[in-house]
Amino acid sequence: MKLNRTFLFLLFVAGACTSYPHPDKASTQIEFGTYVAKKGLWREAAFRYEQAAQRSPNDARAHNNFAVALEASGDFARALDEYKKALEIEPNNNYIRRNYARFAEFYTAYTKTTGKPSGAP
Amino acid sequence: MHPNALRRAGAAVLTLALGAAAGCSSVDQVKLHLPLRPKLPLRGNERIALAPFILVKQADEVKDKRLANIDVQAEFHRFLKKQLEKKTKFDVIETPPDVKLPTQNLGDLARAQEFWAAVGTQTSAELIVSGSLEFRVEDRSGYKTEEYQSPIDGRTYYRQVYVEQTGYVFDIVFLVLDGRTGEKLLQDEFKDFRQTGSKQRDELSGLFENLFSLENQILNTFVPREREAERYIFTD
Repeated sequence: MKLNRTFLFLLFVAGACTSYPHPDKASTQIEFGTYVAKKGLWREAAFRYEQAAQRSPNDARAHNNFAVALEASGDFARALDEYKKALEIEPNNNYIRRNYARFAEFYTAYTKTTGKPSGAP
Repeated sequence: MHPNALRRAGAAVLTLALGAAAGCSSVDQVKLHLPLRPKLPLRGNERIALAPFILVKQADEVKDKRLANIDVQAEFHRFLKKQLEKKTKFDVIETPPDVKLPTQNLGDLARAQEFWAAVGTQTSAELIVSGSLEFRVEDRSGYKTEEYQSPIDGRTYYRQVYVEQTGYVFDIVFLVLDGRTGEKLLQDEFKDFRQTGSKQRDELSGLFENLFSLENQILNTFVPREREAERYIFTD
C-alpha cells in the first residue's frame, strides 16, 4: 500500500516535471514549487523554493515563498530568516510585508507559554 | 449584502490593491495550518476540578428578562466539562456542591491560596479551574458615517445611516490554580461578540454561538490546537 503511494507520488512528480522544461531556472522552480504547494506538498515545495533562492539569491519572491513553505512545514526559525531576507531585498513589497506581519504575530504567540508549570509531580 | 459576501468582496479588493502596489505580480493566497502551543505546560493527564465561577452582572442586566431563564454557570460548566472530556486526556471532575467561593471579587479569588489548596486536597485535583463569567445582550446600534456616490453628479458624499447591531457578548475570565499549593498558574480572558441575525434568536443559542467560537481558545489553555492562516505566494 505504502509502496503504491510512493510510486504514485513519483509518477505525479515525474509527470509534472515534463511540463517544466528548464529546471535550472529559478522561475521554473518557483512555478513547480507553487504547483506542489497548492496540492499541500509543502516539503517538496520548500525544496523547490530553496533551489530557486539558491539560483537567484536576490529574488525576494523565492525567499518569500520559501519562508511560507518552511512555515507550513513547521520550521519557524528558518521561516523567520527567509522572511527577513525577502524583506531586505524588497522592503516595499506589500505581499511580503503582510506575510511577515502575520507570521511575526503568530511566531510571537507560539514561542511564549504564558502559564507557570504546576507544582504537581 | 451578506456579511460573508461583503468580507469576500473586501478581500478581493484588497488583493487587487496589493497587486497594483506590487507591480501586478502573480500572487496566490494559500491556507496554512499552524500549531498553537498550550498556554500551560502540562503532562496532559492531570486531574482537573471545575469550581464555580463568579457571575458578573451589571445593574441593568439583573433586570433583563431575556437572560432570566438562562443558568450561565450550569451551561458553561456543562460545555467546559464536555469539551475537556472529549478533546483532552484529563480526568475532569466537578467540585462538590458544598464548595462555595470565598469572595465575589476576581482579584481576591485569584489570591485565595489557602482556599484553593483546601479544594485541591478535598478533590485530589492537581489543577482547579475557576474565574468569572459575564453573558449579556449588547446593543451597538447607532448612526454611522457612510460614503456614497451621487448618481446625479457622480460626486462622493457622506451620509449618516442608522445601523442596527444587536448581539450577545460572552466574557470569560479563566483562572487556573494549582491544586496542591493553591497558587494561581494562569489568568486569561476570552471575549466574543456574536451579532444576532435578522430573525429573532433565542439567548441560549446566542450563548452557545459565543462558546463555540471561543472553544479553540479555551482548549488551547490546556492542549495544543491548530489554527488556519493565510499567506501570499508568488506564482512566477
